[in-house]
Amino acid sequence: MLGAYLPIIVLLVVAACFGLGSVVVSSLVGQKKLSPVKLQPYECGCEPVGSAQERFSIKFYLIAMLFILFDIECVFLYPWAVLFKRLGVFGLIEMGVFVVILFVGYIYVWKKGALEWE
Amino acid sequence: MVSLHSYLILSAILFSIGTIGVLTRRNAIVIFMCIEMMLNAVNLTFIALSKYLGNLDGQIFVFFVMTVAAAEAAVGLALMIAFFKNRESIDVEDLNLMKW
Amino acid sequence: METLFFSIVAAIAILMSILVIRCKNPINSALSLIMTFFCLATLYVMLEAPFMAAIQVIVYAGAIMVLIVFVIMLLNIRTESGRRTQHALFLGAATGLFLLFQTWYFLSRSSLTGAKGAIDSAAIAKVGHTELIGQSLFTEFLLPFEITSILLLAAIVGAVVLAKKKV
Repeated sequence: MLGAYLPIIVLLVVAACFGLGSVVVSSLVGQKKLSPVKLQPYECGCEPVGSAQERFSIKFYLIAMLFILFDIECVFLYPWAVLFKRLGVFGLIEMGVFVVILFVGYIYVWKKGALEWE
Repeated sequence: MVSLHSYLILSAILFSIGTIGVLTRRNAIVIFMCIEMMLNAVNLTFIALSKYLGNLDGQIFVFFVMTVAAAEAAVGLALMIAFFKNRESIDVEDLNLMKW
Repeated sequence: METLFFSIVAAIAILMSILVIRCKNPINSALSLIMTFFCLATLYVMLEAPFMAAIQVIVYAGAIMVLIVFVIMLLNIRTESGRRTQHALFLGAATGLFLLFQTWYFLSRSSLTGAKGAIDSAAIAKVGHTELIGQSLFTEFLLPFEITSILLLAAIVGAVVLAKKKV
């Protein structure tokens, strides 16, 4: 039963080893001549502008929040999709009610302008 | 074969760590994360008992707990942002006014 | 083998959850908490609940933690302003340890009784875990499922009102 998950564990171990390995090897093999330019954060070759830890806009938060709530809706859709044929019309109606109630929320968000990026 | 008690003890340990976090930290977001951890500890209990009792009702409960956690995250964090706009802090010791 | 694996995963989960409450920087706490969630997902797989493991990763590690990390970056709080007083620290730790002792005491004295259900490993392997969950969710738990949508609707409205309000 759990043997089926062996590839995932192997993948995780390989990924962890690759991450750790590249850090360790580069610190062992690489040269250590540090200069102010080398210590700067790398920004695609451009000069770094300001701190990396700037305050985000609240717009990101609104989108992330809506994402969570509709993500939950999707999670409820998975078992329904698996059982779709067996549940038949009854399942369609019950999921229809669920989706319509959430759709009211979606229309509210849309009318309120929370999806506008400005 | 891992016994049911191991899972329940692990869940109790996680729940206690969450409790200690809620009671000793001042940052509202960290307190929030500790509450999520306590919810997860309870979820582990539900799923462990559901397996050992051969009944899926516990797992359906976990489903609903996760839904409530997501709704709580959305509204709770919005409250924290509203609080931060007013007081420039999310320290729970500053949450001492009934209205402003 | 399974016991060893369980011990490793449980040890990582406990270590990471201690880091959640010990780290000064909230971002580090959040990353440790994500690791705890992954450990719990692993345990769900061991408990033959793969669908629960999947939604644990999708909902908790994928969505809720993203929101928390967003808020930490939005408010840009690096470190905690000050610690609680020694008094509060002591009381908090004592309460937590007392809770743990209490749970352990009752667990060590009690045994599991009651009727066992019909769903064992063989049934899960035959029908499939997601199907079983769906079967139960869309027949027996139909009303809670529909009420959940109202909860989500309330959460959408509440969060939009709170976040859009110009204070």
